[in-house]
Amino acid sequence: MLKLKGVETWYGAIQAIKGISLDVSQGEIVALLGANGAGKSTTIKTITGLLKATKGRIEFMGKDITGMEAEDIAEIGIACVPEGRRIFPGLTVLDNLMLGAIPRKNASQADIQKDLDRVYEIFPQLKESRKRLGWTLSGGQLQMLAIGRGLMANSKILLLDEPSLGLAPVLVQEVFRVIKEINKAGTTILLVEQNARMALLIANRGFVLETGRVMLADTATNLLANEEMKVHYLGAHAHVKEARQQRRSERGRV
Amino acid sequence: MNTSTKNLLVAAVLVVAVLVFPRLVTSNYWLNLINLSISLAVACLGLNIVLGYAGQLSLAQAAFWGVGAYTSAILTTRLGMPVWTGIIAAFFIAAFFGVLLGIPTLKLSGHYLAMATIGFGIILQLILVNAIWLTNGSDGIPKIPSPWIGSHELKAPGEFFYVAALSLTLFTWGAIHLKDSRVGRAFMAIRENEMAAGTAGVDTTYYKVVAFSLSAGYAGFGGWLFAHSGSHYISPDTFSFEHSVIILVMAVLGGNGSAIGSIVGATLLTLLPEVLRFLKDSYMMVYAAGIVLIMIFMPSGIAGVVKNLPVSTRLREWWRSGTEAGKQVAAAVSTAAPAIDPPPATISNGPGSNGGLLRVRGLTKHFGGLKAVDGVDMDVRRGEIQALIGPNGSGKTTILNMLSGLYVPTSGEIALDGAVVTGQKPHVITAHGVARTFQNIRLFGELTVLDNVLIGQHSRSKAGLAASILRPRSQRTEEAALRLKALEALEFVGLRGKEFAEAKSLPYGLQRVLELARALASDPKLLLLDEPAAGLNAAETEALVELLFQICDRGITILLVEHDMSLVMNVSDHITVLNFGKKIAEGSAEEVEHNQEVIDAYLGREVSNA
Amino acid sequence: MDWSTNLQMVAAGLAMGSIYALVALGFVLIFNAVNVVNFAQGEFAMVPAFVGVWLLTSLNIPFVLTCVITVVFMGLFGIVFQRIAYYPLRNRSFLPVVISTIGVGIFLKNGAQMIFGAEPLSMPRPTSATAVDMLGVFVDPQYIVIIICTLALLGFQYFFFEKTLLGKKMLATAQDKEMARLLGIRVVKMIAITFAYSSILGAAAGILIGPIFFVTKDMGAMIGLKAFCSAIVGGFGSVPGAILGGVFLGVIEVFAAYYVSTAYRDAFAFIILILVLLLRPQGFFGEKIAEKA
Repeated sequence: MLKLKGVETWYGAIQAIKGISLDVSQGEIVALLGANGAGKSTTIKTITGLLKATKGRIEFMGKDITGMEAEDIAEIGIACVPEGRRIFPGLTVLDNLMLGAIPRKNASQADIQKDLDRVYEIFPQLKESRKRLGWTLSGGQLQMLAIGRGLMANSKILLLDEPSLGLAPVLVQEVFRVIKEINKAGTTILLVEQNARMALLIANRGFVLETGRVMLADTATNLLANEEMKVHYLGAHAHVKEARQQRRSERGRV
Repeated sequence: MNTSTKNLLVAAVLVVAVLVFPRLVTSNYWLNLINLSISLAVACLGLNIVLGYAGQLSLAQAAFWGVGAYTSAILTTRLGMPVWTGIIAAFFIAAFFGVLLGIPTLKLSGHYLAMATIGFGIILQLILVNAIWLTNGSDGIPKIPSPWIGSHELKAPGEFFYVAALSLTLFTWGAIHLKDSRVGRAFMAIRENEMAAGTAGVDTTYYKVVAFSLSAGYAGFGGWLFAHSGSHYISPDTFSFEHSVIILVMAVLGGNGSAIGSIVGATLLTLLPEVLRFLKDSYMMVYAAGIVLIMIFMPSGIAGVVKNLPVSTRLREWWRSGTEAGKQVAAAVSTAAPAIDPPPATISNGPGSNGGLLRVRGLTKHFGGLKAVDGVDMDVRRGEIQALIGPNGSGKTTILNMLSGLYVPTSGEIALDGAVVTGQKPHVITAHGVARTFQNIRLFGELTVLDNVLIGQHSRSKAGLAASILRPRSQRTEEAALRLKALEALEFVGLRGKEFAEAKSLPYGLQRVLELARALASDPKLLLLDEPAAGLNAAETEALVELLFQICDRGITILLVEHDMSLVMNVSDHITVLNFGKKIAEGSAEEVEHNQEVIDAYLGREVSNA
Repeated sequence: MDWSTNLQMVAAGLAMGSIYALVALGFVLIFNAVNVVNFAQGEFAMVPAFVGVWLLTSLNIPFVLTCVITVVFMGLFGIVFQRIAYYPLRNRSFLPVVISTIGVGIFLKNGAQMIFGAEPLSMPRPTSATAVDMLGVFVDPQYIVIIICTLALLGFQYFFFEKTLLGKKMLATAQDKEMARLLGIRVVKMIAITFAYSSILGAAAGILIGPIFFVTKDMGAMIGLKAFCSAIVGGFGSVPGAILGGVFLGVIEVFAAYYVSTAYRDAFAFIILILVLLLRPQGFFGEKIAEKA
């Protein structure tokens, strides 16, 4: 459904992604992992059109969408729950949800209402607080709202950028349960996460990024068992260890 | 041709021009206009100092111009004091008002500052109108005397012109000297990046007030020129917000930051209405449209356009080759890169040190309800490279900000070499021996590479305002020494040959290195690096690692925050790991790598139903 | 205490405050949308005042129709302004934009003078009532007109922003432009509409204040500056802040002018501004914004 081929993106003066290729097939949950600064969020921003790729190709449902504007990408069926949730603080929960449905040009009032009900079903708390303003919500509620807003787009694929960030463990559990549920109901998901383990528990496949490149790509089960994962997160590569030993002896340090 | 000869040449040309001018232009009408434009030019030079150099948008310049004019007018007409004493009064009383404006507005910037200065100016003008006992109100003060030289009254515009031109020359000379001096560099650092200026050692509060005060003083003197010439009459109307806007437009037209530009701008905008008189009513509209067009197409003003002409680049190089700075740089290049022996690892033992340089106890920072840092204890040993790592939001940068003085800790203690520095201002901490670099590079973009490094030495140098303007021998010696040190630092990091390049024109990797050079220039004991490898490619990261070890060899202790774990593992003697604002582990690279809590923090803990 | 005078002053203060509020709102909406402080906002009130006077006195067009035409004119004006003055500078730094808007203000001022002449013009009042008897006190009816119209306009605005989809889209754009784009909201269009609406607010201010003071090219300057103060006092960037700040300043100004000093009437707005900037720079409703290291 979604394919990236050799995508490169610059973030200001820095090349944040240096040739990433990945793919997401219909019905899957694919996890995009890596340490901070690896380029995960930049990848999401490139897919959604907020940043433009300088090289490479992005394909969605067979169509080339490289370089399309963000507003247009929202309309062709790619919805995003961005990092930091970004709920409109001055609008109500209901407003935020309804705004999520904007990209749907041909939907009828009834369809939208149906989706709203579905969101309320998944997140009963949102129904209760539907008249509350965004800035009054707690971290967990914000995340629920952000996901709900993403769902309102009834999109073909939903991109989630660090949904567990800043949440207490119990809420993290809840969020991942919900993501799994949504996926079962038919939404394809590309999940960016720092919490690799949790993400891999619900994902089908995963890509591990390090400094802008894909270092590992495998099924989730394999990745969970792979000792190499640690290395990409903690930098304890063999060549690094060697260099360290050498330096140490050169400089007479322990 | 060396600098003194060039200086003499310029001076000679100026003297001739000034002497000859009133012979060429004999119409009193035009001479009065020239005198007016000179008085505005001085005010504009002042605005150039506070806005062009220091980056503070002040829209009260006409009010200070008025304060100077009125001060001198009142003293000379009411109290019969000699006109020349009016100069001192005009300058200093206006400067005092400048301080009055500078102090309350310190924390403001951008449109808040602009609005506050507008308000200040309007209030001043209202006082001029209403304090009739002092200022004669709207009627104004007529018959303001001209200055006397001996028994000769300088009544004719042509004669006053000499006074005006001479003072303009002096004030311009002062402004030009200021720009290339320790104080001028401090101003420009504040303009370019106030936060980095603070951590580089500049007391931003003090210098902002000085900038306001000096610029007001300039305007005050311009007011003196205005009062004692032309129609010899002043009234409050002339000192309105609209006139502050005109002075602003003059400064920007000439080129923000250029002293000569200010003069050109002031002259053009005073004389242009005369030349364009035929436009009659639509003159102001043309003027306004011109302003907008200039902002769109020529935002750096005339100076900006001239600067980029090939002839000016050659002229600049010709001039520079004769200056002290130019000669030093040339000398350093021609000798084969002098091998600078690292000073013997100066492990001075300060009080309370047992090898420990930095001691942090119970460091806490709350932002509202959020505990960004929660009771962290840390020790950094002298001469080591320590890394501070942790997943997103663990509090690393917050700790760095507290160590460098940008945040005040909610509680806890920080001691550097035995001295407690908790909650001190950045420039004070820098003076104690801490320097830092930033995650998203904070260079002084429009300044040269050399200037960036020179500013780094601000806390290790002394020249004040007077010395910066007058340039006595002591100041020149200090500047030469500073330059020498700066060149060494640039050599050390590998930026030789680029001394006069604009910092922002450097490629990304070199910008990072320049920030490092600036930090090293302050002779720090402790170097704080915030993600120094961010955005660097593999080769550049390698070079960085080499550089870090060389810095370490010089006896400087390093504490770095970094996400590039390979770098961290490679370089660190000791690693401290944070998560959710608390320290969860510390030790050598091997220890940390195998620490289960650290692994869980990074890879995520599997959360299951309790 | 002469309470009838006080009551008159309250009315006058509320009326002036309403005008400041309308112009301040215009400032804040533009600022929220594009992060630009429009120093020509006062002229956004001056231009429609001239247009209104001309329609009323030279063309003898009835009052209601005049209002409609002026509003439409200002809406278009806002869009043109955005295209010519804002758009070319949208990526520039702070100073060029400030100076540019100041330049546009000067252009509009002198343009008005060129078209309509330098003589102050007198705008006829919408009602022929000479004085309204309120609780035994005689109040200038125009004050009542101003207050009622402002309330109506604010009511309409509340309805627009709270109940219509377009209004929500505009609020969303102002609160988080990037997120709005991710939802498919055409941000460029929203910005154009913001400028148009901001100009319409100016139209209301200009037509409402016209009958009280003479319509001159300089009438916008002080109003603009004081409205700017109102917005800062209320909390720059906050819509209710702009409104409350305006009313607050309007009332204080009238009372201070009477009880403290008439000569320094214009100074009070700025004195309050400077006090607020010193003691609570985020104003009543604003948020502290600290720079990230």
